[in-house]
Parts: sequence; structure tokens; C-alpha cells
Amino acid sequence: MSPKIGVVTFPGSLDDQDALRAIRKCGGEPVSLWHGDDNVDGVDAVILPGGFSYGDYLRCGAISRFAPVMAEVIKAAEAGMPVLGICNGFQILCEAQLLPGALIRNDVRVFVCKDQDLQVESVDTTWTSEFTVGQTITLVRRRRLRS
Amino acid sequence: MARVVVDVMPKPEILDPQGKAVTGALARLGFAGMSVRQGKRFELEFDGEVTEERLAEVRRAAETLLANTVIETFDVRVEPTPESAGAVDEAQNSQAGNNQAENNKAENNKAENNKAENSKADGSEAQSAEEAELAARAG
Repeated sequence: MSPKIGVVTFPGSLDDQDALRAIRKCGGEPVSLWHGDDNVDGVDAVILPGGFSYGDYLRCGAISRFAPVMAEVIKAAEAGMPVLGICNGFQILCEAQLLPGALIRNDVRVFVCKDQDLQVESVDTTWTSEFTVGQTITLVRRRRLRS
Repeated sequence: MARVVVDVMPKPEILDPQGKAVTGALARLGFAGMSVRQGKRFELEFDGEVTEERLAEVRRAAETLLANTVIETFDVRVEPTPESAGAVDEAQNSQAGNNQAENNKAENNKAENNKAENSKADGSEAQSAEEAELAARAG
């Protein structure tokens, strides 16, 4: 049975459709979740997608973090459900204190857009379990779409 | 009507790239020799008096939502409202804010001490925000 993976749409989420499509392409069963929902519909994992929820007002992710569905996401995460936050979703996870710390603005004040090499430090997470420790992976910058 | 102001600032040890960008833009515009740190100001208005309970509630709100206490600090103070501002303006040169603060016994000493400074600071803050926006558009 393919895993049910929920994707939360907040007001201002942009990449929820991408995430739903990626789940489908990977053989999962995508489930749309709404920020106002009071449950996560029995999903096996949740993705908080990218975008500009609430227009990035106050701090990125600070308002979405208190959306009704987030109470359920936090509860489920604490019980062991995997949660993936992408971009704005990552900011929401930091604001929700599911991830430690806080994001601040780039201190070099330069917009950086490049392929980025990362070294895998930990493989005991759901998202990195198929890597090996010390492996270098490259995150590819978004390519310009052909019109 | 009463107004409580919450100022939120990046912690001193946290880099403030926004402030640095504004500092640089100001210098390019000829406003040299000033170093800017940028924060946020929230104005919360209430019917009736600001009680100690109300202030405690505001502090809770600031800690929960208005500030991210991992990277920011906040300061809560009572401020004269627009209705009472006329009286305050007249008396501004003679430390007007203090009467108001005494009426609002709820606020602590710090607010009283800050009051006169704050009313002075407001004008200049608004001005730099405007300039920052101009600079941002130009840049």
C-alpha cells in the first residue's frame, strides 16, 4: 500500500501543487490538507511546501505556525510522524519549534543562486536514510524554464 | 482608549543585515556616521485603562507571536493615545508623559523614564523608515 502523504496549503503557499505531484511521481498517495483543518486525515507523513504564507508578514512562517492544522502536525510529529518542510515550510517548522533555532537574513547581503554541495552529517532521519555519512550531495539551483 | 506599544529588536548578538543595508544606504545619501539597527513597533489599542493584567497579557502576546525570542527581544510600554496627545503636546517641553504614566499605574518605572525619550525618538524613527524605503527602491 502506498504511503499517504499530506501537503498543507496555507494562504500564500505556492509550491503545494509541486509537492503533491512529486508525491504522486514517487508512488505515494498525495493528500491535500488545508491550513484550517483540525486533523491531518490519517496521513503517514506531512510536507509543508514553499511559498509566501501570509505574505511573509511579521516573520516568515510566524503566522502559519499557529494555523489550526499545525496543532495536529505538531502533535503527530511529536508522536513520530515524519514532517518535511521545504523553503517556507522549513521556516514554519522553525517558528513552530519543531526544528531548533531561527532563520535570519543572509549576513553577506548578497543574493546567492548556485548549485550547492552539502556534506551528509546524519543518516538516521527519514529524509537522509539512503545517504551515507560523509557523502557529498549537490542541490541543484532552479534552472530557467524554457518558454 | 489606551495604547500599549511593543518594540521588537534583534538581539544585540544577532547580526542585523537589514540595519546594515539601511546604514549603507544612508551613508550613500550623505547621512554619515550613523549605525542603524532595525526592529518592529506594534501599537495595541484597548478600550479603558491599561491594567496590570492587560500588560501581562500583552507580554504574553509579544512572547508568543510578536517576537521570536530566539533572535529578538521585546519591550512593552504604555503610550499616550492620540486623544490625549493634544494635552501631551502642549506640555511636552515640561515632561508631559509622566502624568499619563502615573494615571496608568500599571506601567512600571522603566516606561515612565522612557516616555519623554520615546516621544522624541518616534519622529526620527519614522523618518529613517521612509528613507530606508526610498533607498531600497533606488537600490
